Amino acid sequence: MREVWITDAAAVTPLGDSLNQLWQGLLAGQSSIGPVLRFPVDNYCAGIAACIEDLSPTADRSMTHTLLERLIMQVDRVPPDSLLITATTKSGIDNLERIRLGISADSRDVQLSRAAETISRRLGLIGESMNISAACASSTIAIAQGAAMIAAGRAEVVMIFCMDLVTEFVFSGFSCLGALSPTPCRPFDRNRSGLTLGEGAAGLLLMSAERARRERRARLGTILGWGAVNDASHITAPAKNACGLIRAIHLALKMSARRSRDIAAICAHGTGTVYNDLMELKAFNQVFGDHNIPVYSVKGAIGHTLGAAGGIEVALSLQSLSNQVVPPTVGFDTPEKGAQGSVSSKPADISGDCLLTTNSGFGGINAAIILKKGQKP
Amino acid sequence: MKALITGIGWVNSTGMGCGREHSRFEMPPGRLPRITRKSISEEPYQRFGRMDSFSRLGLAAIAFALKDANLDTWTRKRNISIIASTVHGCLGTDVSYFDTVIPQEGRLASPNLFAYTLPNSFLGEAAIHFGLTGSSYTISSPSASKLQSLRMAIISLDGGESEKVLSGVCDLESPDLFAKTGKEIPGALFFMIEKSSKKIGTAYGEVGLDRKGMLNFNGSKVEDIVNLVRRCLTAKHAKVKGLTAK
Repeated sequence: MREVWITDAAAVTPLGDSLNQLWQGLLAGQSSIGPVLRFPVDNYCAGIAACIEDLSPTADRSMTHTLLERLIMQVDRVPPDSLLITATTKSGIDNLERIRLGISADSRDVQLSRAAETISRRLGLIGESMNISAACASSTIAIAQGAAMIAAGRAEVVMIFCMDLVTEFVFSGFSCLGALSPTPCRPFDRNRSGLTLGEGAAGLLLMSAERARRERRARLGTILGWGAVNDASHITAPAKNACGLIRAIHLALKMSARRSRDIAAICAHGTGTVYNDLMELKAFNQVFGDHNIPVYSVKGAIGHTLGAAGGIEVALSLQSLSNQVVPPTVGFDTPEKGAQGSVSSKPADISGDCLLTTNSGFGGINAAIILKKGQKP
Repeated sequence: MKALITGIGWVNSTGMGCGREHSRFEMPPGRLPRITRKSISEEPYQRFGRMDSFSRLGLAAIAFALKDANLDTWTRKRNISIIASTVHGCLGTDVSYFDTVIPQEGRLASPNLFAYTLPNSFLGEAAIHFGLTGSSYTISSPSASKLQSLRMAIISLDGGESEKVLSGVCDLESPDLFAKTGKEIPGALFFMIEKSSKKIGTAYGEVGLDRKGMLNFNGSKVEDIVNLVRRCLTAKHAKVKGLTAK
């Protein structure tokens, strides 16, 4: 199996148009959650989300174009022969809303493959492109599949772009499922009451070690292993016994040839819903036992960015490994059972080379990735 | 890397069924048959009534592929992955869902419809109904090729991520409003692809990926997904004839 490096990472989130701004904001304990002004929220169970300031559609195009353009500005040289994998749950669904409301909008933006087509053209890529969709684990699985292609010698370079928007379509859906918290979400807190939606995008350039060395690219981190497992138990709720996530973590550890004690920290999905957080704590406690690993969630700061969550969290995990510190879990105050001593409202120092990042989503999917520390750029 | 095709299932305008029940295959444009609970299961299946049309379509084709591979019954969950290509995904369900949001500014938004506004929802339904615990995701590609999910399945088998993968395509007709986005031939078609050589005698044949990423079946290049099914059926027919001659 060939070694897979991450040679570039970028993010656009409500905490800023760069990964560094996001990282600094998180370390400072900032939250970007505020009132939703984009659509009426009077009839929903919450009125808040983490929205990117000044993000608006241009003419009849979806807001995804604006978001992606801001992201592309942050990305270094992308080799033209890159395989492009995008990850999104709902793509330009804002345009479906406009069309149904009688407003002129480009229907092509609603297609899942649209972002891949747009980015490919914009970056002058000559390789294949595709979108991967697996609910809130979309980008985690996209990264894993990109790494699998490189590891197997099927690709040299894979560019991952992931994105999702805060739209009335998605907001109303989570509201009618009773999943939205009326106050900013509080991952792993005993008094949590649901999730807060967010929007954002991330870009990650994956490269075979040989090619990266040849091109003198930075090694921000190495993707050591991954696992993806379906609970096969419920469409919208996680398995209470955490069977899928536990197995996904074990698969990632096995592929990485690492033991649980080698993991220095966990970047959890941590949505702030009662069931997700309980399930995750159960999985972490079962896999890692008494080994009290720092666990954190960024969703109290930037909300749940759905299909973009895994990509943003991998980009942040590279920062954590590089700086040997994990950001605070914003909103966390009173620990849920099992979170004592591992989740903190303050940044926490870590010591080690490997970090685990996990995501789970509708359809019962769970995904885990293990990253190894790279070099400071 | 080579793997075995051990099952084929489909639903299209000509009907629905398994590879072993048919000697010919076509995927012409046209209206899809009505999919009922009995198309998928003889047993009571409460969740079926809630499902959107896209999920029913994909689930039915998966059910036939599993039946064809003799994997439709189970007592313990199995490590089988599902990778599906789709162009439009659940776009029709998206429209239906948002039409419940518009009238009273969200008061009437349907939680049941919202649960099916992800293209991977039907993979979750298949995982639950058939106890499939492998990875599951959908692929949507700007290229016209419908073979991408098969390529990803073979890479997954090669990398040891899965032992068995259900791989195929699933699309309803695009809603009229989105005709501009292109017309797809509606239907679903899934292959059961296995790494194990234990089933070599009963398999349709070997599917492989060359270094350039080209798919081949029993050693010769695969042009498109319909052609692959036809070649599987021909190979099966030849095998049966060979056995009869002995």
